[in-house]
Amino acid sequence: MNNKKKITWKEVRRQKVLLIWSAIFVVYGIIFYYLPLGGWIMAFQNYKPRTGLLHSQFVGLDKFKFLFSDDTFIKVIRNTFAMGVLNLVFTFVMAILFAILLNEIRLNHTKKIVQTISYLPHFLSWIIVTGILHDAMSSNGIINELLVNLNIIDSPINFFADPKYFWWIVAFANVWKETGWNAIIYLAAITSIDPSLYESAAIDGAGRLARIRYITLPGIRSTIMVLLIMNIGNVLNAGFEVQYLLGNGLVKSVSDTIDIYVLTWGISQNDYSLGTAAGMFKSAVSIALILIANAIAKKTGEERLF
Amino acid sequence: MKTKKVTSLVALSAITVSLLAGCGSGSAPAADTDAAAAESGATTAAAETGSTEGTTEEGKKEHSDDEIKDFSMFIAMPGSEINDGNEVQEIIAKKTGVRVKETWLTGQTDAEAVGTIIASGEYPDYINGGDAMKQLYDAGALISWDEYLDKYPKLKAYYTDAEWDSFRQDDGKIYWANVFQNTHGESKTTTHNDEAFWVQARVLEWAGYPKIQTLDEYFKLLEDYAKANPTMEDGTSVIPYTMLCEDWRYFCIENAPQFLDGYPNDGSVIVNLDGDKPTVVDYNTTPTAVKYFKKLNEEYNKGIIDNEFGTQTYDEYIAKLSTGAVLGMCDQWWDFAFTVNDVFKQQGLDKLGCDYVPLGLTIEPGMPNQWHAYGDTLNNSSGVAITTSCQDVDAAFQFLEDCLDQEIHDLRFWGVEGVDYEVDENGLYYRTEDERMKATDTEYQASHLCDYSYMPQWGGTSEDGKNAMMPTEQTSEFFANLADPLVKCFEAYNATTYVDMIGSEEVELGPWYPMYSFSNAMTTDTPGGVAWTKMGETKHEWLPKVVMSKDFDSAWSDYMDAYSACKPEDFLSEMQEELDRRAANQ
Repeated sequence: MNNKKKITWKEVRRQKVLLIWSAIFVVYGIIFYYLPLGGWIMAFQNYKPRTGLLHSQFVGLDKFKFLFSDDTFIKVIRNTFAMGVLNLVFTFVMAILFAILLNEIRLNHTKKIVQTISYLPHFLSWIIVTGILHDAMSSNGIINELLVNLNIIDSPINFFADPKYFWWIVAFANVWKETGWNAIIYLAAITSIDPSLYESAAIDGAGRLARIRYITLPGIRSTIMVLLIMNIGNVLNAGFEVQYLLGNGLVKSVSDTIDIYVLTWGISQNDYSLGTAAGMFKSAVSIALILIANAIAKKTGEERLF
Repeated sequence: MKTKKVTSLVALSAITVSLLAGCGSGSAPAADTDAAAAESGATTAAAETGSTEGTTEEGKKEHSDDEIKDFSMFIAMPGSEINDGNEVQEIIAKKTGVRVKETWLTGQTDAEAVGTIIASGEYPDYINGGDAMKQLYDAGALISWDEYLDKYPKLKAYYTDAEWDSFRQDDGKIYWANVFQNTHGESKTTTHNDEAFWVQARVLEWAGYPKIQTLDEYFKLLEDYAKANPTMEDGTSVIPYTMLCEDWRYFCIENAPQFLDGYPNDGSVIVNLDGDKPTVVDYNTTPTAVKYFKKLNEEYNKGIIDNEFGTQTYDEYIAKLSTGAVLGMCDQWWDFAFTVNDVFKQQGLDKLGCDYVPLGLTIEPGMPNQWHAYGDTLNNSSGVAITTSCQDVDAAFQFLEDCLDQEIHDLRFWGVEGVDYEVDENGLYYRTEDERMKATDTEYQASHLCDYSYMPQWGGTSEDGKNAMMPTEQTSEFFANLADPLVKCFEAYNATTYVDMIGSEEVELGPWYPMYSFSNAMTTDTPGGVAWTKMGETKHEWLPKVVMSKDFDSAWSDYMDAYSACKPEDFLSEMQEELDRRAANQ
């Protein structure tokens, strides 16, 4: 009954090339992903560049205590989660919706053009996107002019001065930039669905909506699940550039993310230890999120990562 | 089958993710500049050392191209880069054997930029890290000056021994020297190179040159003028008042209460001399501060204050001022005047009376004010330093020395004789109208002029005893450059210069002045430093919020709650300690 093959030297020799190639990647992984984690020791020290990793004074959990007693950090966690979740929900739903709609276009030419145009914003860097947003939403920008001319508002709204708009602006920016790009993967998944399914459904009298509901969606369900789990792990990467570039003193309390916090304390204030502690916290939460999402997927019998 | 599909999917998304990451890192704007600065720093190693470089006797030798050393310099301030092959830069390089490539702050705060440089461990040859000098020192990135200073007489004479001592860090050594506010010989100050509430000359002219002493009178004037003249000649609407709140420049909104109470610019606290010993007072919470912000709030809700003030960047602010549409603001002269006045001159807006005139406002009428700082202010928390990455420290110091040489100094600030300025029969420098126009043209500045503005420099009188070190301080030049509306305005107030205009009292300042040189150098290693950082963040958020609020009183009390949560008392007690220390050194 023992199905396990014994590893013999003969077998090793036979797979020599394969083993060497994998070893290269393992070594690469160790050097670039695991060795740097040694730097985490900073979080337990009062690290100073002058004394270095080896001679800085150990302070135990002091840095973590400071972190969690700092109101700003708590706010920053909230902001990161809120923006991360908003981004996830909107970009995720929009990408699927867009892919399905695009798939329904029967004119191949139009479909190609729409697809190309829609994923172009992905290649713009955030500095350009935020520049455009900043101009479009300034008090004499196109959005305010439109709203005033349509008599929806009386006087221009200063969008960047009011904390209540900020998260939505970021979510909108993400949707605008990434929808087309994210849709590519779903479009690819849709093409792998057997066309005969659609044909037979059509013969059975299924309309467009019914075909989307009973064939397209189930067909890409595994793709959706895997991407969802991966994106959940990314929730805390709610962004750095957008918030950094669009934020200002007035909306600071809602715009700062964990990454910006790490930058202000770690780099600007030269407190590398505190920055590392905040970064560690972020990684730990991200791993936990992935595990939880994966476990839920496993329980419900869905596609999962591991 | 199924697993295969999933793996390929994962692989595909992994590619997507890594692509995303690739795009992401590409858009961190200033990192590139730093890297470039560090890189060019590394290349200077190649140049050979000649020991007699840059001797300053008569008939000095010219350096050939391959003898010229290239140094890099990072300045933690936004600035404009000059073109490669800039003419004056080449002349200076030939004479001194050194060419310095300056890179400036772009899109980051000074602390972030310097922090990034420290994290990379590769430094430019020279660095002026703004308020982040202490961080550089802590990182062990700077060369100590003590061994070198005696070899360079001009540099050594740049400060008195006591002044040099004030630059000493906790290890007892000197690592940098501030390059500003150092007067050689007699002072020639004509401008008010400090903070003030500024107003355009045309506003005063329209109102018949009234006496403006208080905040209320000032805003009344702006309101009346804006009501009577809602647009400029070209149809742009005027902006009666704007404020800058960006990054460290938020002093424009933040520190007026100290001046309104009649105190000098200690920057982070007021030093009160009423008791038996000087004590620090927090100007953020004084009754004057409440009155000042209440006034701003009132004016904002009336629509007098620019509604974009809270979100504008420095560039946007300068662009706004440059249109001539902004009637007034509170700012430091050096923060706007050099750029804005050049544009006014180029566009002919100075003839329309758009130039700004300083007003010495106080909270109550008739109080003496100390907006203008007579004499030099030594800010020992910041300056130019040479880093450990510099391969030829001697040459780097020699260049600092050469920067103070009169001939090089004239080249830096006056330009080339016969091209940028003329010399009359008495040896006085002057500029023709054409030369004045050229000197304010940004393109000409980039291709021809090179003032190395963050290298050691003198104000006051030149070594010949006649001319001013800086063209802006040359009395004849100053008056020749003054547009008619300004001349009329000065006459109306019985003033001859900006300094007379603001009418500050001349007070002998204590040895502790300025206290900001201590707070600027605070780090988060001490509770006071943590409090100072948090106070800054809180004020950044709340001051514009308070001004824009519909209900001032409740906004102010919310602000005060947030403010006291930062534990300002920690900060104040460290400031008091430092004040006691400085006062004892008297």
